[in-house]
Amino acid sequence: MKSSTVRTFRSVHTWTGIMAGFFLFIAFYTGALMVFHGALDTWQNPPWRAEAAATVSAQQLAARFAAAHPDQRKLFGVVMPYPGAAQAPYVYWPSADGARFATADDLAATRTDIPTGRFTDYLLSLHESLGIPVAGLYILGIVSVLYGLALVSGFIIRLPGMTRDLFALRHGRNLKKLWQDAHNVIGLLSLPFHVMFALTGALLCLFTAMLLALNTLAFNGQLTAAVGQALNDVPTATASGKAAPMQPLPKLIARTRQTILAHGATTFRPDYIEFHNYGDANAIVVVRGLSEGTLGTFGSVTLNGVTGKVLGVHAADSYDGNGIAYAAVFGLHFGFFGGAVVKWMYFVLGLAGAFLFYSGNLLWIESRRKRRQADQPARTCWMARATVGVCIGACLGLSAAFLALAVANGRGDADTIQKSVGYGTFALACAWGCLRPVPHAARDLLWATAGTTALAAIVDLARNAPVWLEPWTPLKTTVLMVDLTALAMAVAFALLARASWRRARHSDANSVWALSMPASSSML
Amino acid sequence: MIARAAAGVLLGLPLTCALLALALIGLPDHGQAWIIAALIAFFPLWTALMTGSFFFRNGRRAWLAFGAANVLAFAALWSLRAAGL
Repeated sequence: MKSSTVRTFRSVHTWTGIMAGFFLFIAFYTGALMVFHGALDTWQNPPWRAEAAATVSAQQLAARFAAAHPDQRKLFGVVMPYPGAAQAPYVYWPSADGARFATADDLAATRTDIPTGRFTDYLLSLHESLGIPVAGLYILGIVSVLYGLALVSGFIIRLPGMTRDLFALRHGRNLKKLWQDAHNVIGLLSLPFHVMFALTGALLCLFTAMLLALNTLAFNGQLTAAVGQALNDVPTATASGKAAPMQPLPKLIARTRQTILAHGATTFRPDYIEFHNYGDANAIVVVRGLSEGTLGTFGSVTLNGVTGKVLGVHAADSYDGNGIAYAAVFGLHFGFFGGAVVKWMYFVLGLAGAFLFYSGNLLWIESRRKRRQADQPARTCWMARATVGVCIGACLGLSAAFLALAVANGRGDADTIQKSVGYGTFALACAWGCLRPVPHAARDLLWATAGTTALAAIVDLARNAPVWLEPWTPLKTTVLMVDLTALAMAVAFALLARASWRRARHSDANSVWALSMPASSSML
Repeated sequence: MIARAAAGVLLGLPLTCALLALALIGLPDHGQAWIIAALIAFFPLWTALMTGSFFFRNGRRAWLAFGAANVLAFAALWSLRAAGL
């Protein structure tokens, strides 16, 4: 390859990396934690600290809702909680002016937002939209496209000498070499993982926009209908007007499980149940959920709500190519296959991904370092401040929200608590990154993250003390594992804090990371 | 470099759409069985075109080549449609 081509791709890699890096760091850090969303839900609301509405079953909730809102019987759905987490199921229905939601506690009230308040709700909103309503989703979609370009250009610039340098981790006087090697080896070895996320991330965020572009530019407006047909829309049935008793929901779920297992899956966990014409002789129930042992991990069975007869199966080996491809996008992105091993792999690779973007920023700073003078260019100073403030600040903000939930212990509105503490701490961390000298800011924020995370685990271990002493309590180990993982992460943050402080004191003085920064470049 | 990037982003997008439409039109039943696969191929194909634009010597060449490719692809698509396919 010509050296000018490599140079071009080096600047493509730099620009796309700089533009997408901060967003990707947040998306990967929150995504890595989201792998264990079920465990985190259980951690927040274990069975021994149940929400009042959680004792209401999905069956009771559907019946009560249909009684309270007879005009909504035509279409509504029940979102099931993660099994074990003592969360309440909630109802969703489309009203004339947008989606509405309700739990058993407030069936009369009509919320316009999903009942939130779980830590995982906060994680998800950051993961899929950076917490920014509407626009955030599109921003992350564009970021995913840039991420894809950064992967391709990064691959191209490493092509010469790739096999030679792949397993090199040169630990010596030249720190840049070490960072470069670490960045390359993580980028290259986890490339398939990253390619998959660049692709599925762009699809999940920009699916509607992409469909619109294709539809108007090249498909004469016929694509949307064809996609709907390919994804097998639910059969519609008009209400007969004759009332009929519904089949009990557990029975319908059992039949769904039996059907999906007969189609080659090994497990089935329902997560959403949709009712059409509830209580009518023409009632249709769609039971949707997750399965293992199949490529089509997300699947559904459509049943007659009165007779329980199976009307359609969109799961496991009953899927056609379209269905499998669609389900695989979700299965791959959310890591729902292969059980616990894949979950831990996704967790580790997700954190490694966050490190990849962090190290990318460090390399940008390092390659613009002035080696012979203590005074570093302003742009590298600000890049260092932003990297420390935003990236470590995001970790600190999440840990602070995690701690706040443990301390609140179910008092107050969880959503307000986690968001105000999470965003507030993040803003403070960014300010700290701007005001303090860079090495101090890095050390302070890393220690703060380590301390906050450890404290959250300790508070939770203490508040659950009676449970640990009981001989057997369901899901005790799940909660314990979350606390132990938090403690392990606290240790990792503490080690990073120690390493960055050691670097500040002992390594090359002519750097933004060194203590010898002139006083003029910091404000505190 | 900006000119080449713009060619890849702005002209690569309609070219991607046209190429996918052409691929589907050539399949039985207008590719109904491959429609989701085609949607999944959208971003990789666009990314490949954006990457490809940087292999041109300058922005002018990239715009000319991508423009010509667009004209060809859409002409083929519309003539196939006009021919009743």
